[in-house]
Amino acid sequence: MLTQSQTGTLLHQDHMATIETLQKLEEFLGRQRSAPALDAKLREFLQGLAKTLRDEVESHFGFEENHLFPVFTQQGQTGIVMMLTMEHRAILPLAVQVADLAAGAVQAGGFDQQAWRDFRDSGAELVEREIFHVQKEEMGLLAAISALVDPETDSRLAETYRRTVK
Amino acid sequence: MLGGGLIMGAEDRLLPPSVPFRFFATAILMHVAGWAMLLVGADTLPGFQGGLGPGLAALHLMTLGVLSTTVLGAAFQLLPVATRRQLGPVWACRLTWWLYTPGVVLLCLGMAMQTSWAMHAGGCLVVAGLAVFAVLVARNLLQVSDLPAVTGHVWVALAALLGLAVLGLLLVADVDAGFLSRRGPFAAAHAVLAGYGFMGSLAMGFSYVLVPMFVLSQGVPDAVGRQTARLLALALVVAAGGAVAGSGVVAALGGVIGLIGIGVHLRAILAAMETRMRKRLEPFFRLVRLAWVLLPVSVVAGLAVALGDAPELTAPLWGWLLVFGWLLTFVSGILQRIIPFLVSMHSGAHGGMPVLMSRLVAQPPLTVHAVLHGVALALGAAGLLSGSALLVRAAAVSGLAGALAFAVFATLVFIRARAHSSKSR
Repeated sequence: MLTQSQTGTLLHQDHMATIETLQKLEEFLGRQRSAPALDAKLREFLQGLAKTLRDEVESHFGFEENHLFPVFTQQGQTGIVMMLTMEHRAILPLAVQVADLAAGAVQAGGFDQQAWRDFRDSGAELVEREIFHVQKEEMGLLAAISALVDPETDSRLAETYRRTVK
Repeated sequence: MLGGGLIMGAEDRLLPPSVPFRFFATAILMHVAGWAMLLVGADTLPGFQGGLGPGLAALHLMTLGVLSTTVLGAAFQLLPVATRRQLGPVWACRLTWWLYTPGVVLLCLGMAMQTSWAMHAGGCLVVAGLAVFAVLVARNLLQVSDLPAVTGHVWVALAALLGLAVLGLLLVADVDAGFLSRRGPFAAAHAVLAGYGFMGSLAMGFSYVLVPMFVLSQGVPDAVGRQTARLLALALVVAAGGAVAGSGVVAALGGVIGLIGIGVHLRAILAAMETRMRKRLEPFFRLVRLAWVLLPVSVVAGLAVALGDAPELTAPLWGWLLVFGWLLTFVSGILQRIIPFLVSMHSGAHGGMPVLMSRLVAQPPLTVHAVLHGVALALGAAGLLSGSALLVRAAAVSGLAGALAFAVFATLVFIRARAHSSKSR
């Protein structure tokens, strides 16, 4: 995505980190036919996954809904705000569920059959919903920030982002 | 910035689903009809250099029925969200379909049965439908100053549309009146403007939006998009002009300029692919990548036609590579991705949770289609080169089976979307 705004660049970097995490999750789920044994490598992966999903997804969505979307709403761009907000409502509980299951598996020393099925199903759904969501944000939202947000507001939003997300 | 605003305001500008999907459903049915007609006319295709009959009808079922119909539906849906400007009244989009679709059916029946009145009536309806489309798109483009790469290609496509429509009507009128001393040069110019001008330019322009979105990559710089639009425009003027003037060398020069433009286009698209965040390419890319290979190959075959090398072999091979090779492969690849994409978008347009695309898409029919389409392309090319009607017939059977598999895929998407919608209520 080509973006000239500071806020767009920060969101793009966040998207890249999220996509990298989701691709690792997708590859992991694709490799496992049944509940895997918990070794040091898997422990590290699940801990990282839980942290990324909790920190990045929640704070990223929070920044957009509390700081960025109001700027668009003020300009009458309500359609995109409603669509992306509704997607946040679908994705966030999934992300939290996957994070909880990952953290639970680390704590319990592995997945039991039910926890594994839940992790596999909710993980696969999270990957698909979040990637579809990022596609929309990369091609629409970031371009719109460049087109519709003035430089002063962009600087203010970027500062808020650095303070609240990173 | 390419693709800017593709989604921004998308919900405000999503057309009623019945508008784009009536075009897509028509294209899917015509896809089946086109291969079936090719099977009927398979014996006439080796050595084919023009003339009425099922071969010509099959060609137009594919070009007008599948390729252009898909592009009309996609343009109606994509342009307003890409340009962030309204396209025009919804009734005018529907009117396009009501004029265009019966026109294609009549025209192709007229060609197959060699019936003049059907060709005249069908041709007029097709041109009327395309004229409504062109007015709607031109009105939209006149409000846009950004997105030069996309709009540049769409302007080139509209100019080519004007040229191909005039040439097409001339060719239809000439069937009875016989005022053209040689139909071949006009038919060649018509094919160049249709395949590389109207369809080709739209495919290139929309690729600058769609490909980076699907793979999550850097967009293609505006300067590159402007350059490819200019090169393509120049190539079309030179190639079509050379063909009409009967100068193979000039037409070939147009082909060379076109190859340069295609090189710039493909290099930019591949650079975007290199920077993609989404490492795993979705299955539809197998067709899109094949189409990218067949695009320059079709131009090379066109150069051989222009330079007069064995026209009984090179002319039908060029048509095959252009229409069935590059364009049909590309369009069926993109269509299998944008149908579930749009269905998913529409399913969440009123505040509900969007249906997952993986729950809409049945992959096996698409794999069957991809394999059978590839087999059809190879058999067809071999049949045309060897002069074997049997191989061409086998290609048509394979293509027909693939088209039916594609229709199964599309039907399942709509059945599953309906089930999701009933469950969500």
